[in-house]
Amino acid sequence: MSENVNKKRSFMGWFKYKWNYDPLFSILIALIIMIILQTFVLGFDYDSFGSWWQAWSTNWMNLLRNNAGVAIIALGMTFVIMTGGIDLSVGATLVATGAFAMMLIDVGERGLLGMIGITGVTAIILTIILTVIFGYFLGMLNGIVITKGMVPPFIATLGAMMVFRSVTQHVMQGYNPRVPTEFLEIASFKIGNLMIMPIFYWAIIAAIMYFISKRTTFGRQIIAVGSNERAAKLSGINVNKVKLRVYSLMGLLVAIAAIIQVSRIGSMDYAGAGRGLEMDAIAAAVVGGTSMMGGRGFILGTVYGMLIISILNNLLNLFGVPPLLRDAFKGLIVIAAVLLQRKKDA
Amino acid sequence: MIIELKNINKSFDKNVVLKDVSLTIKGGEIYALLGENGAGKSTLMNILGGVHQKDRGQILIDGKEVNFRTPAQSQEAGIAFIHQELNLINDLPVYENMFIGREIKTKYKTLDHEKMIEETEAMFKKININLDPKKMVRDLDASYKQIVEICRAMMTEASIIIMDEPTTSLTDSEIERVFEMMTTLKNQGVGLIFISHKLKEVMHICDRYAVLRDGKLVSEGNVKDVTTKDLARYMVGYDVRTDHLSKKRDLGDNVLRVENLTYEHIFKNINFSIKKGEVVGFTGLLGDGRSELFQTIFGADDLTSGHIYLDGEKVQLKNTYDAIDKGLAYLPRNRKENAIIHDMNILENSSIATWPKYAKYGVINYPAHQKRFDHLRKQLRIKMGRASDSILSLSGGNQQKVILAKWLSTDPKILILDNPTQGVDVGAKEDIYDIISELADRNIAVIVLSSEAQEIIRLCDRAFVMYQGVIQGTVSGEAMTEHNIMSLATGGELT
Ligand SMILES: Nc1ncnc2c1ncn2[C@@H]1O[C@H](COP(=O)(O)OP(=O)(O)OP(=O)(O)O)[C@@H](O)[C@H]1O
Ligand SMILES: [Mg+2]
Repeated sequence: MSENVNKKRSFMGWFKYKWNYDPLFSILIALIIMIILQTFVLGFDYDSFGSWWQAWSTNWMNLLRNNAGVAIIALGMTFVIMTGGIDLSVGATLVATGAFAMMLIDVGERGLLGMIGITGVTAIILTIILTVIFGYFLGMLNGIVITKGMVPPFIATLGAMMVFRSVTQHVMQGYNPRVPTEFLEIASFKIGNLMIMPIFYWAIIAAIMYFISKRTTFGRQIIAVGSNERAAKLSGINVNKVKLRVYSLMGLLVAIAAIIQVSRIGSMDYAGAGRGLEMDAIAAAVVGGTSMMGGRGFILGTVYGMLIISILNNLLNLFGVPPLLRDAFKGLIVIAAVLLQRKKDA
Repeated sequence: MIIELKNINKSFDKNVVLKDVSLTIKGGEIYALLGENGAGKSTLMNILGGVHQKDRGQILIDGKEVNFRTPAQSQEAGIAFIHQELNLINDLPVYENMFIGREIKTKYKTLDHEKMIEETEAMFKKININLDPKKMVRDLDASYKQIVEICRAMMTEASIIIMDEPTTSLTDSEIERVFEMMTTLKNQGVGLIFISHKLKEVMHICDRYAVLRDGKLVSEGNVKDVTTKDLARYMVGYDVRTDHLSKKRDLGDNVLRVENLTYEHIFKNINFSIKKGEVVGFTGLLGDGRSELFQTIFGADDLTSGHIYLDGEKVQLKNTYDAIDKGLAYLPRNRKENAIIHDMNILENSSIATWPKYAKYGVINYPAHQKRFDHLRKQLRIKMGRASDSILSLSGGNQQKVILAKWLSTDPKILILDNPTQGVDVGAKEDIYDIISELADRNIAVIVLSSEAQEIIRLCDRAFVMYQGVIQGTVSGEAMTEHNIMSLATGGELT
């Protein structure tokens, strides 16, 4: 490569350089290939462009909307992994915050806000705020156990996962809150005739997270902590504070995902919802180039990673691959993506 | 064994690092490879060690051309490599680190721990180091780690040993023992390549030398035909100052005082006070506890007991952020483990300690940091590409300068420098000394931790000598001699 340094780079030269040195490039290429593949599977046809476009865009809308919740959680997971940690409790936190939201907004006689006479839009706004705070608080609990208690993140959040879900299931036993239809507008509000809100939330949160990770003290300190904790500490970074904030933020994002989910379906299956969610979130982050060792991570990569996994699911669906076999493909994609990026660490 | 390097060329992207370098190294000699920071010494050795690939040129071993694609291939050919930055596995005990890749097995193919421990012990005994082979590497101080690396390389029975600045964390007495080992190996016919910025060491132990400047071989010959002054000139291209630094300064009020500082098993009952504008040294041998002492004062670890006073006021430093906020700065020793954030670029590494200070609404003010760094970069003559390049693209000495820049840019009232010139070349060392003197003239208190007696003597107004976690004595003025320092450092008294 050094031989042609002074010559203007050819396209191949540029491509090779990007491929070798830009960690997000190979993942972007993979994404583009998958999008092209999906386009053809959906029967791209020049003559009937209109109907093709119809099918294509509807498919995409569904795909993005269905994955917005996981995608938002994956963004938080990226930060967690970048500090060198992990959060296994996101699925359980989803259920806990979802149940919390429903208890608040319930229009039945046990509804907490209803009991103190708060209804309508005020109740909705209050529910959103309190649920987000509750999520933040649950995340903070994880953070405290990890930093103050010095419990490894894997163990701390594994414990939290069991506690959160079990307590939620117990509390919600035999209780079926009714979510008012106005609350459902959070997710199903239509712009034009498109049900676009969840995608909108995802995009906004991704943009904010991107900004945090690139430009803010907090975002860059995350990298320092994950990259070399002792050096971070000796550089004046309050390592525990950074970790605490990362886990709290994780909880907050899960709460947002929970609100979206509740407002889409109007109910929640406390035993089953969010199971395996942590793995999907971790997979998206890892496919997007985030290193499980900490230090290295990309919000944009996680967005790509999420899209790749979503498209894969979509393709498996379209191809009619038996449901039980689908995880195998997901697993292979994760491994392939990491292999693709391996050489850059060398 | 004879190694011939012929017309080696190497570039990193646009940066041409080695230009037609040719060298011959023979068994039974110690060969000094010299050059200023970023001259290309480590890169050349990394090519010989199979870490990097050359762009052009030939490597011949005993006349046969070889091409190392991996470090393992180079090792198999009989080359051992002590890297500039520490390279041990923290989660394994010392003895397992000693035998990585060539473990001793029992006849059942399991690891023979007893044997490995035994051999490690014998090795440590030979160079007179008191270190338990079963200790975890994580718990070792940087100097011990360096010793483990040296011993490991020497145990491999290699025909050529590359030593890239192996003594930067060691004190004179350990260095002396390392040299004895080197001489023994040399007499057994082993060839040693020795990279160092301590020219006295080079004169003392090396037979031949080669000097690289900007990737070109500029001088080569027998060490006995030259002086340190000559070598310094070949390296940097001008005469390096060797005279004394002016130390006449008016000292201000006490700025830092500590009372009975104790941290169990590491240091105890430490008392001292330091004035504004004073340059104070702390020195001692391995395990004297000085680094731990100042890391604790800096708020990185919790005190067991004792008090700290800043400007006469008792303070409780909760964490390092707090310490920086109150005007302390601490440049740690052993940059790879304590300072370098390898996932970040040069600019970020140079500014991380001041992000909160210049941030608005939590957003990092990169332009402000860039401006400050540009200034320091010139002052410290940091050889680098763009500020957005990875910190790992810099040579060891230049990484050190970036870390120094980071702490200088905090505008501290008290600047603590722990082994500040680790891996820095002779010219840059003087630049750093000038900066320290200038800071002191501006009434900043500077504390220099160093194991190099000469550094302490040249720089400091006064020095504390530590021995096994206590301050054994202080020296100043006429009494600040290598002899006195050594005597206190080994637990003796002033004579
Ligand atoms: N991995 C890398 N990527 C890009 N540039 C590099 C890399 N490694 C070294 N360089 C560049 O090569 C040049 C020579 O570096 P090298 O580490 O060989 O210097 P050195 O002589 O060992 O200096 P020092 O005394 O500071 O250790 C430097 O300009 C450095 O920036
Ligand atoms: Mg070097």
